[in-house]
Amino acid sequence: MIVRYESWGAWVKLESTAAVVAVDRVGVRSLGLDGGDAWTTGAAHRPASAPLEVHLAVTARCGAGCKGCYLDAKPDGAEPPREDLEASLDAMRDAGVFTVAFGGGEPTTRDDLADLAEAARSRGITPVVTTSGLGLSDARVERLRAFAQVNVSYDGASATYEQVRGFDGAPAAERAIEKLATAGVRVGVNVVLTRESFPRLAETLSRARSLGAREGQLLRYKPAGRAASLDYLAQRLTREQVRSFPAGLRWLSHSLCEGGSFSLRIDCALVPFLSTDPELARDPGRLARFGVFGCEAGAALAAVDATGRVAPCSFAPATALRGRDLVSGHDGDAELARWRAWADAPPEPCASCSFRSVCKGGCKVVSAFVDGVHGPDPECPRVVDWRSGP
Amino acid sequence: MSQDRAVDAEGSLEEHVERVRLGHGANCSSVGSVVDTLFATAVVGAAVLAAIVAALEREEVRVVGRPEEQPKDRESSP
Repeated sequence: MIVRYESWGAWVKLESTAAVVAVDRVGVRSLGLDGGDAWTTGAAHRPASAPLEVHLAVTARCGAGCKGCYLDAKPDGAEPPREDLEASLDAMRDAGVFTVAFGGGEPTTRDDLADLAEAARSRGITPVVTTSGLGLSDARVERLRAFAQVNVSYDGASATYEQVRGFDGAPAAERAIEKLATAGVRVGVNVVLTRESFPRLAETLSRARSLGAREGQLLRYKPAGRAASLDYLAQRLTREQVRSFPAGLRWLSHSLCEGGSFSLRIDCALVPFLSTDPELARDPGRLARFGVFGCEAGAALAAVDATGRVAPCSFAPATALRGRDLVSGHDGDAELARWRAWADAPPEPCASCSFRSVCKGGCKVVSAFVDGVHGPDPECPRVVDWRSGP
Repeated sequence: MSQDRAVDAEGSLEEHVERVRLGHGANCSSVGSVVDTLFATAVVGAAVLAAIVAALEREEVRVVGRPEEQPKDRESSP
């Protein structure tokens, strides 16, 4: 197991099972370990001293042309030199990052993708990757074997996929899921939730599971890149869909995940939508115990864009910090610190919310776009109710 | 490692596991969290935690992170 000491104990990445665990100081000591200086001179208490997970844009090149691409990737997009990416991986190793998620752009367009995955592994970092699945040849499947998991973007069958992305890439995505699963590569799907894809979610996940997917990752649609337009307001979930989300998620968990062959994940931006769940509201600590992460931008999560700059997350504007300087710059960068600090003293209604320590105010990319401020998530049901008054 | 080492005056190791994040995830744009265990029964949750504790007690240790803050690896058994 890989241990990274924190002021409160340690983050531990297990190797015999895919899990990251937070253990307090007493627990760490019971394992015969001691945090030393990290426990005596460490920074003020916070969940992580450096990112646990970094999202690395290995290219901004992509021919798919998805209408809502958060990176605004294009066929002639920039492709960072391998040495720059390896310098960022060096910094991640030195910071104690556990996982690097390769994205872009379409990562499989890089001929050296497998070498980059091996470069991550040789530094003790688990590599994972997202692909559209378009043009996934046998040779490209081979390049993906080095990854712990490959997620294919799959928002639904043809008509639904086309409504989300502007073209019908579903047949190619389905072939890719099947091909990867047949090749023995652990494969999951990324499903973007829009008001069109949401009603067909059960059907989409069932189809993905039948093709061999082991995991469904639900993603909130976010107003970044090409999606930062008025069309966002027509694509985002309706208020009724948001309020039905927790019950729907429970139903999907019970109907698809019994037996353990398929798992369901939600992204950080969907966490505020759980605030209307009555059972979780009675026991909000359950979210933390099961390791749910809300907005960890600039904290447990960081991104490195295709120009090599660090951003709080993939949807946020990049800072001046270079990926290769992640160790020396993570604590001191003012913009990363601003994102981390928001949840320490949020305004109402987040201040009195029992989900606050996990949710951390929801998606700031959404609040910046919709409200023009770095503030509470305007699509959180609790925020909506608070703003509409008694 | 013996079970004895995981138990001290302040309770079992299970009580000192604060968070469990399962799975790798492979999304490149936002951080994901497994939720089916969140909604599972207490029996399933307990089984997951027991497996995690067993792995913590069994696996070899490698320490990573900022060198100036990182001390030695696992000490010999007390």
